[in-house]
Amino acid sequence: MKWIIQHLFAVTLVGAASFGVASAQEQPIKFGLLQDFTAVYTFVSGEYNQGQRDYLTLINQEGGVEGHKFEAIVRDTGNQPQRGIEAYNRAKEEGAILFDFLSTPVSRALVDSVLKDKVVMITPVHGRGDASDGEVFHYVFPTMATYWSQATVLAKYIEDHGGLEGKRIALVHIDSPFGREPLPVLQDLAAEKKFELKAFGYPSPGNEQSAVWSEVRRFRPDSVLIWGAGGGQPVSVREAIRNGIPAENIFSVVWLAETDAKNVGADIMKGVKRFEAVSTGTDTPILQRIKAKVIEPGLGAGDATHVGTSYYNIGVATMAVAVEAARNALKSEGAPLTGEKLKAGFEQIKDFSAEGLMPAITITAKDHQGGGAGRVSQWNGQAWEPVSDWGSAYQELVQKEITKGSQAFKEGK
Amino acid sequence: MSYFIELIINGALTGLMYSLVAIGFVLIYKSAGVPNLAQGAVVMTAAYVVWLLAALGLHIVVAIILGTVLMFGFGLLTERLLLRRMVGQPIIMIVMLTLGLEILLRGIGPGLLGAAPKSIDLGIGLSPIIIGDIFINRAYLVGGVVALALIGAALLFFQTRLGIKLRAVSDDHVSSWAVGISVERAVGISWGIAGMSAVAAGVLWGSVQGVDWTLSTLLFPAVAVAILGGIDSIWGVLIGGLLVGILGSVIPGYLDAIVGGGTRDVVTSLIILLTIMIRPYGILGREDIERI
Amino acid sequence: MFYRIAGVYHTRYDKARALWPVPADRWQITVVVIFALAAPFLLSDLYLGSYALPWLIWSAATLSLTLLMGLAGQLHFGFAAVMAIGAYTSIHLARFGVPFEFALLGAGIASAAIGALFGAAALRVKGLYLVMATLAMQYLVDWVINNVPAISGGAQATLRTPPSSFLLISLESLEVRYYLALAWAVLLAIFFMNVKRTSFGRALVAIRDKDFAAAVIGIDPFRYKLLAFFTSSFVGGVTGALLAFCYYRAVTPEQFGFNVSIQLVAMVLVGGLGSIIGGFLGAGFVLLIPIILTNLVSGLAASGFLTVSSNLLAHLPLMIYGALIIGFLVFEPLGLAKIYDNIRKYFLVWPFRHSRS
Repeated sequence: MKWIIQHLFAVTLVGAASFGVASAQEQPIKFGLLQDFTAVYTFVSGEYNQGQRDYLTLINQEGGVEGHKFEAIVRDTGNQPQRGIEAYNRAKEEGAILFDFLSTPVSRALVDSVLKDKVVMITPVHGRGDASDGEVFHYVFPTMATYWSQATVLAKYIEDHGGLEGKRIALVHIDSPFGREPLPVLQDLAAEKKFELKAFGYPSPGNEQSAVWSEVRRFRPDSVLIWGAGGGQPVSVREAIRNGIPAENIFSVVWLAETDAKNVGADIMKGVKRFEAVSTGTDTPILQRIKAKVIEPGLGAGDATHVGTSYYNIGVATMAVAVEAARNALKSEGAPLTGEKLKAGFEQIKDFSAEGLMPAITITAKDHQGGGAGRVSQWNGQAWEPVSDWGSAYQELVQKEITKGSQAFKEGK
Repeated sequence: MSYFIELIINGALTGLMYSLVAIGFVLIYKSAGVPNLAQGAVVMTAAYVVWLLAALGLHIVVAIILGTVLMFGFGLLTERLLLRRMVGQPIIMIVMLTLGLEILLRGIGPGLLGAAPKSIDLGIGLSPIIIGDIFINRAYLVGGVVALALIGAALLFFQTRLGIKLRAVSDDHVSSWAVGISVERAVGISWGIAGMSAVAAGVLWGSVQGVDWTLSTLLFPAVAVAILGGIDSIWGVLIGGLLVGILGSVIPGYLDAIVGGGTRDVVTSLIILLTIMIRPYGILGREDIERI
Repeated sequence: MFYRIAGVYHTRYDKARALWPVPADRWQITVVVIFALAAPFLLSDLYLGSYALPWLIWSAATLSLTLLMGLAGQLHFGFAAVMAIGAYTSIHLARFGVPFEFALLGAGIASAAIGALFGAAALRVKGLYLVMATLAMQYLVDWVINNVPAISGGAQATLRTPPSSFLLISLESLEVRYYLALAWAVLLAIFFMNVKRTSFGRALVAIRDKDFAAAVIGIDPFRYKLLAFFTSSFVGGVTGALLAFCYYRAVTPEQFGFNVSIQLVAMVLVGGLGSIIGGFLGAGFVLLIPIILTNLVSGLAASGFLTVSSNLLAHLPLMIYGALIIGFLVFEPLGLAKIYDNIRKYFLVWPFRHSRS
């Protein structure tokens, strides 16, 4: 017992000393990347966070933005709100002005704090679709297509390739708020375009879905949208193919990546399509520079084989947008940056495509989503291949949901 | 009608897949009286071990065999290093210990080997077996057969000399000591066997959903299976698995559309509750008699 | 050294029966209470809002649960669901316009009513089966919350607490919320200390030790088990409401999931079954150790003491935390309260090594 106490004490001292060292340096612009590396979001957070940090390293290697360097504060929240709140408050005290939680429970628990503390929270490609309303959620920036926009882009693709009218579309989703999120938009669309929509929920976490798919097969859908994440996704794809649904007719939310293809079997999954908000692979200029200036000198934040994967690139794109916002803010508002200045910087982003990595987004004080554009890509056996152009669809329906959600949030005040 | 039959068949096979996880839980409870809430994490560890061996270049069959040996050792070690120190403590402490073990394993596996899902390829084809209008999941069929084989092996094992010793231990520790049976060794071996059964569960489930920490969440349906069948009965694992699987498939198959949500967890929960209220010791479990 | 019990004579019964008959315990408590009262002036917002405040609320939750698990011996693996009922009831009542004080009361009553239903299972089974039954009820409550939008709050499944005040003091400022949580935790601790000395408390202990034997000496197990569930759920529900109003300020289903139930049980057990100081220590351990470990490990990594992959870095705290729980149980199964007790006993007889008893 004595031994434990002595050692704990020693370790605490070393820890405290190390905090002191870190804060003694010159203050860079700090981003709090407080994500879930150990629980529900492990399927994405590793690669995603690696991409974010590699991009910040790249910017720092290139001399920063107008001489300002960036620093990422990375902590694990384990998807638990109380740990997220602590990490947020600590990072805020350390001077972070932008936060990315990549966790629905944590970001929901912190929306109010972020609005009150006037620091920026980005929620790229995931939760809180109604936060696109910049006039209610002043400091929350989805910056990329929300789940609602993803559903409409997928629906638009189906419409362009065979039409929607009279078709049967199945939405097979995880039975959680996330899984049910696209439903209202799709229902509106179904009424407008006269197709038959049926939702099938499978219990979380989705490692066993056979009963649901027996039902889906009897619905005889022309297209299937799968709306899940992590381990449930390869199971969905396998079950769909097993139940005789051609791979070409399977459409997925953004959470379907190379690792899932490997789990399903790279050849079996050939033809499956998904929404993508950011292009995959290392052909774009930014990824080339990351390879040359970050990965080759050995400064990468993780396994070099992850560079260019879907989630890695999403991570890169989120930080590209954030750094662009910081650049705008430094230009128009001047240093030192605060959350308010950074927010202004975000709202000046215009036609920014991260050198072709993503669709051009324009963020305004009203629209924090940035247009909701994306494209559909198809697994060709080795990689994801785009099969449509960047674009958004039925944003008026999405807008309806955004307004509905943000009004409810406002009234809740 | 074919829909109903398909739900029953696939449900039964799913239930047997759960039995694979439950059998380890039951073995340990039967011999040591320990509800091992870390069995899900042990299954996850087994899947990681096999994946690692396969990734090192071993053929999958060799990897599974070697993994089985390793997991037997893992079970023995767990019992020797942790559980044996807890003999005589209140059951809740032991439950908590297994929960701590679960947290530890969930840190070690994904921490050392990577948190992104890994794939285990068993070479089981994806195309279903089609009988009329009924599609049967091939992977689950293999799982069901393996589960039946394991249950059969366990039943036979309890007829062997060592198995009879284990039965004696599960009856009463003190009397077993009195007739010269090493209770410690028997309990250790049952942990080892539970580790081995975890390999079957881990590999089959891992090939279906990929290997990551979510494998440890299989514990809940497995416990439902064990409770329903009788927590110390091998036959109970079979019957419990079939019932949990079929009810968890057929009822949601008709109810989900009406309720508009996945009702399987509700069905599983209700199975547990009703079993406990009506027949706490399960269908085939042994009733405890308490004295003051 | 500290505990000078020589020369302390209790000349009156009520002195001997005081909560802390030993003077050293009294001044220790006084120091702790003074520090707790002064905390808003001593601690930064970070430590007050993210450490002290949740610690107090979770300690209250742990005390509610340890009343049931430690005193009455009824295992409960669905306590987060009980707290969820309290949180959702209070927030719906408050949004409906009911004053916060009454919303708290409503939360307690709703939780107690449904919590007593949980207890119905306890009338039939105990031990592991009770664990499983309460676990199943946790899943049922979760499902209902998740699948009834009227409860969970629509598509985003988030309900924010309306601005409210307690006894005319607005709950906007952190300090007020801290004091409210402190008051509740202290109230619960005092209640708990005293309940052990009542006939009710003694009946519960008798049932914990052997319910048949208790029945033989005239304690109705049926009645007292239900009462234990009722009381514990009532305070648990109020704690859930406080958690929502003082700490999270928004309620989502994930805040009261199955893993939270497990955490609460861990708090009770790591702290020490049935102990008050154990409730506080256990809640602190389970709630704060993962946070502290995460910060410590990242701090070490940032300063170059630890060079491992970021994936391992994220999982290290989980491993250490799991190992700590195992370590505590293996080396001191009676929890942190027992370690405290050992230290106290050591000083009680210091400089001698052993006391007579």
